[in-house]
Amino acid sequence: MRGSNRTGLIRLALAAVALVTVGCGQRWVEVPEVDGAVKSTASVRAARRAYDGAPPTIPHDDFGAACSACHDAQGISVEGVGYAPANPHAATPEIGQTARCRQCHVFVIEDELFVASNFEGLQQDLRPGGRLNPIAPPTIPHRTLMRSNCVACHVGPGAREEIVTSHPERTRCRQCHVPVTTRATFNSSLGDGPVARDSAR
Amino acid sequence: MKRRSFLQVLGTGSAGIAAFSCSDRQQARQIEANQDTLAVDWKKAPCRYCGTGCGVEVGLKDGRIMAVRGDEASPVNRGMLCVKGYHLPAMLYGEDRLRYPMLRNDDGRGFSRISWDEALDLIASKYQEALDQTGPESVAFYGSGQWGVHDGYAVTKWFRGGLRSNNVEPNARLCMASAVMGFMTQFQSDEPMGCYEDFEAGDDFILWGNNMAEMHPVLFSRILANKREKPGVRIVDIGTRRTPTTDYADMYVQFTPNSDLALANGILHLLVKQGNVDTAFIRENVVFRRGIEDLNRIGYGCFGPDGLGTDHSAGSAERYGFSDQGRESSFAELERFLEEYTPARVSEISGVTEQQIHALAEMYGDPGRGTVSLWCMGVNQHVRGTWINNLITDLHLITGKISRPGANPFSLTGQPSACGTAREVGTLSNRLPADYVVNNPEHRAKAEGIWGLPEGTIPARPGYHTMDMFRAFMRGDIKVMWVQTTNPWQSIPNLHRIDRNPDDGTFLIVSDIYPTASTEVADLVLPSAGWVEREGVFGNSERRTQHWEKMVDPPGEAMEDAYQVIQVAKRMGMGNLFPWPEDDWHEPMYEEYRQFGLGGGKDLASYQQIKATRGMMWPVVNGQETRYRYAAGHDPYVQKSRGVHFYKAKGYGEKAALWLRPWHPAAESPDEEYPFWLCTGRILEHWHTGSMTRRVKQLHQAAPNAYVEINRADAAELSIKSGDMVRVVSRRGSVELPAKVDGRGKPPRGSTFIPFFDEAKLANALTLDAMDNISKEPDFKKCAVRIEQV
Repeated sequence: MRGSNRTGLIRLALAAVALVTVGCGQRWVEVPEVDGAVKSTASVRAARRAYDGAPPTIPHDDFGAACSACHDAQGISVEGVGYAPANPHAATPEIGQTARCRQCHVFVIEDELFVASNFEGLQQDLRPGGRLNPIAPPTIPHRTLMRSNCVACHVGPGAREEIVTSHPERTRCRQCHVPVTTRATFNSSLGDGPVARDSAR
Repeated sequence: MKRRSFLQVLGTGSAGIAAFSCSDRQQARQIEANQDTLAVDWKKAPCRYCGTGCGVEVGLKDGRIMAVRGDEASPVNRGMLCVKGYHLPAMLYGEDRLRYPMLRNDDGRGFSRISWDEALDLIASKYQEALDQTGPESVAFYGSGQWGVHDGYAVTKWFRGGLRSNNVEPNARLCMASAVMGFMTQFQSDEPMGCYEDFEAGDDFILWGNNMAEMHPVLFSRILANKREKPGVRIVDIGTRRTPTTDYADMYVQFTPNSDLALANGILHLLVKQGNVDTAFIRENVVFRRGIEDLNRIGYGCFGPDGLGTDHSAGSAERYGFSDQGRESSFAELERFLEEYTPARVSEISGVTEQQIHALAEMYGDPGRGTVSLWCMGVNQHVRGTWINNLITDLHLITGKISRPGANPFSLTGQPSACGTAREVGTLSNRLPADYVVNNPEHRAKAEGIWGLPEGTIPARPGYHTMDMFRAFMRGDIKVMWVQTTNPWQSIPNLHRIDRNPDDGTFLIVSDIYPTASTEVADLVLPSAGWVEREGVFGNSERRTQHWEKMVDPPGEAMEDAYQVIQVAKRMGMGNLFPWPEDDWHEPMYEEYRQFGLGGGKDLASYQQIKATRGMMWPVVNGQETRYRYAAGHDPYVQKSRGVHFYKAKGYGEKAALWLRPWHPAAESPDEEYPFWLCTGRILEHWHTGSMTRRVKQLHQAAPNAYVEINRADAAELSIKSGDMVRVVSRRGSVELPAKVDGRGKPPRGSTFIPFFDEAKLANALTLDAMDNISKEPDFKKCAVRIEQV
């Protein structure tokens, strides 16, 4: 690892450790069995976004490396530092070479504001997706556009506990989990019962 | 480092329960208790920033904007946005929004709140007084490519039809005017023939002075996606410095500023020499033209010869009125004209290797590959901007690579309605809607007919173009100027020439949503409604007309730009120009405007159509949009048997004009005293003068201030480290700012770059007010500076 990368990672680690120690206001959670590593929570997630759905800002220094070097299809964890989440936008690391991550994700190099703002962003919907019964697969409660790599958030030491999958070995998530695009129920346009439907045939 | 060590961790998944964050639990409980907090209503709108015109869905709750998301139904961006687009919602919520009309105090210091009635009465009386005393040439309106269609239309109708003045200009003169004149001189009709589907259909994408990765990120993503799917797709970055775009290019072609003219001629030279021209296409569709080329006759239109550092002072005048005169030419004359642009000579002028010139000629000349040329400010903000627009299009005309999917010259626009408002409505000083111009009596008659005005109402003489307009305002020849939706006291080149003393006897009105460098020097400041705080229509780079509805109330007493104008017109007894009900004027005004283009190949979609769709590309005939203009099977004005038909170019026998255009040097080049080139421009995070984007936390914190990019070797020679404060000095001014070495842009030796968004570090204090001879668009990309240690 190059010197500049190390400095950046150490800064990230120090910031993370400071947050872990704040008690019940805590925002980071330690990763079990990985020494000193920490993972995200919903409030960490929110702090890096203008609103739910906005691209997160980049919480570390510019290491001068390609984003996909760490944020590949599965992500990596670094002992004593933390976890580089996978790229949720694709299932392959190759996309990193011909996509431009930084058209949406920007570094934070300034703490102050230019002018104070009255903007209040939309919060994340932390309700779970619907299930038909307790053992049925939950539906996907969020948009899946550019979030097709489920592993990025639902597998791995960085994943928030409440959304970690119990079965990462099953790689085709969408055969059981489907995205909910409407909360309204289906109303048949064919009439109210089997008779009407039969006659429509 | 443990790669994929999560597999170990998964074995202990049950420990996760204990690790559930308590703040998350609190938040989840709150949401559970009040599920309604997440009930958001989504409505469609085009993005407020660049000319791409991405579709967004605006998330609304309790009269506030809570979020946006990329509109998956939009054919422009298909759900994707850039960092500016994603952060749109915060743009309207800066604490210092202008809320009330504010009048400068009598002592000249500070402003006091007045009522709208007082403000509108005052504007009406100031305009009337100027009209009475000094005539219609002494009033002016300076608007914007960020105006919605209604704003521009209201102003152009009021000015030309009511005040009888053509002194209407948009900031698009600083931005798109060269592209306008490029298309007008070649096709006698403005705007591109292609559309964004070229980004999937094309094979080779040649970017002329265009940092597309930062300026049009979503469109650049479409090219990158094409490249992923078709490995043969190539991107060529022709530029004067390395940018983030260069990282994705298959070939980077670096040229000396202004020598793109020589490079394009060099490519033409090889195409002709090697016979890689489409003779049949040329015979059927192309005529040849040649204009005035004498540098001493043309000049550069700078404010005055003093401090220019060049011998080419001809044409330096208070009013730059050079007028090109075209004459017929021929293919034989073109061959002779191109003789001197051999690879060796072009290489000498431009610094481009002969090998690269040959490579470019092979790309353009290969009939089996779809070639798309793309350009924006590098080509338009150019002392010979119309010429280089012509030459790039010439490359497509001579090879027949035009008006078909994946083969087109495509000019990108920088503002959300530069096309829709500045160009289509025609808010440039010589234009009327739908390609009509004021100096054509038939065109004036058409406008007077639609507007129900007596013959002879619209003056025939074009008004001041932007640079002359500001010069006239500083001289006092213009007495009253109203500025809307733009910030000229930060964006006009050679800013010190317009240092304004509010006591100078003229009257300046500025309408905006935030305080800016321009409201600072105004006499009267008006609060405007921004973006989705009002209903509106934008037209994007691909001829797509997009509508959005009013979604939230503006703060305080802020009011929509067009409505401000209508209220003043009514006070001046010109209410007949706006005869529609106060609560329902958007649709009838648009439908009146639409009459200009119907049947002429500039047919806009109806209001109901643009309300119901994600916009439509004109010409829209029988409810069908047009993806490729002039092309049979696409454009309803072209007969099926015809192939390509440039039917708008009546003056050229309905053919396109290939112009012979020579190379000229820049107005000011580096010398011993000022040894560096200075280029200015935008960066990804900030839009124009930053008045909106700097008020967004994430954008400001990513790019808090301007800097000067310097080459590493130059910095070492000057003993400057990245981050050191330096003073950049030109013949016109100086500015102190931090140096940046090996930042996102990397200028070559002898070149520098400063972004212009920062009102505390004004790039335009340094720039030169030299301009294009035909479009009168100033060149923000080339002047000479020196760098001093602070």
